[in-house]
Amino acid sequence: MRNAAAVLALACGIATSTEAQVVAGRDLFIRADKGHCIACHQLSGGAVPETRADLGPRLDGERMRALGKAAIRQAIVDPTRANPDTVMPPFGRHRLLDGAEIDRLVELLHALP
Amino acid sequence: MRFPDARLFAAAAAMTVAQAFAAAEAVRIEVTSRLQKQLPGVAAADYALGGAALDAQLRAQVEEHAGDSAAVVEEGRKAWTAKFRNGRTLAGCFPNGGRRIAAHYPQYDARLKRVVTLEMAINQCLKTHGEALYDTADAKTMGTVTAYLRSLSNGQKVAVRVPAAGEDRFEQGRRLYFTRLGQRNYACASCHVQGAGKRFGEATLSPAVGQATHWPVIRDGAPVTLQARIRECLELMGAAPFTAGSDELNHLEYFLAYLSNGLPLQANPWRPK
Repeated sequence: MRNAAAVLALACGIATSTEAQVVAGRDLFIRADKGHCIACHQLSGGAVPETRADLGPRLDGERMRALGKAAIRQAIVDPTRANPDTVMPPFGRHRLLDGAEIDRLVELLHALP
Repeated sequence: MRFPDARLFAAAAAMTVAQAFAAAEAVRIEVTSRLQKQLPGVAAADYALGGAALDAQLRAQVEEHAGDSAAVVEEGRKAWTAKFRNGRTLAGCFPNGGRRIAAHYPQYDARLKRVVTLEMAINQCLKTHGEALYDTADAKTMGTVTAYLRSLSNGQKVAVRVPAAGEDRFEQGRRLYFTRLGQRNYACASCHVQGAGKRFGEATLSPAVGQATHWPVIRDGAPVTLQARIRECLELMGAAPFTAGSDELNHLEYFLAYLSNGLPLQANPWRPK
């Protein structure tokens, strides 16, 4: 019984640790070692701290939903395909973010107010 | 084969020189006119202020902290006038003790076939007199000395020359400035031409024209040279920074300094952390 409790505690510990390693979409947007999208874009609805950043356009939910998840994803993976002159980094093509991280950013942007 | 007419030869040589001048000048005019179209509210002389020309809040802070460079400049003055073991000084290596020379750097040295920055000229003086060289990236030595030396040229208009033999170095700097680098795929020009005047986080992106006029900046009480700042940018871009004093950074500085020709030097302005 004591052994079972120890195994359970260990398993919970692993689960908590894995959960901590999954970076939320909001953090991916903010962190300089991840997307760092906040350096260029402001978001509607107070989803992230207010800044004066305007190198990229302000992003709001209505525009994101009009674009659709596939187009948002493509814009994050490699924006230069649609616009070779864009200053936005190719987050997927240059492996700044992995596929699952890009999916979480897409969800964050699609759900903006 | 007849030897070509001397007058014809001289005319051809003069034309080559003129074409070289024209090429660098054409680049300066093109970049300047693009920025003026993008930023119609900025007065021509204000480009010398860098990002502060486009950010009233930063400009007010720079004016408020105008005295913050005094300690750094004084440190530099002491080193500038300190006697070497042979009794000479750094001041003795430069015309007029170093007054009103900074606006002419970087220079193309035809003998060395290299671009010589102000920092390289300082180290050349130390070498000539058998003194230990400064680390180009060291704020306490090279940073303070250049802060003092540039203060002796404050307000002087940038007057960098690109002779025919230096045209290739200018072109290498221009090409590097417009080339996308690193994991984030930015070029210097992405932010400082295409995005000039916009904000990256809280930082106002300085226009390429005027970028070479206001160095070193004083950040957190310490001087930060133009090349040190470019290295920080390269890290942000996800690129391995070129070494301070490398040909790559010297050519970038040469290109940027030429773009700033005619603008007044603004030595040692304050910048936020």
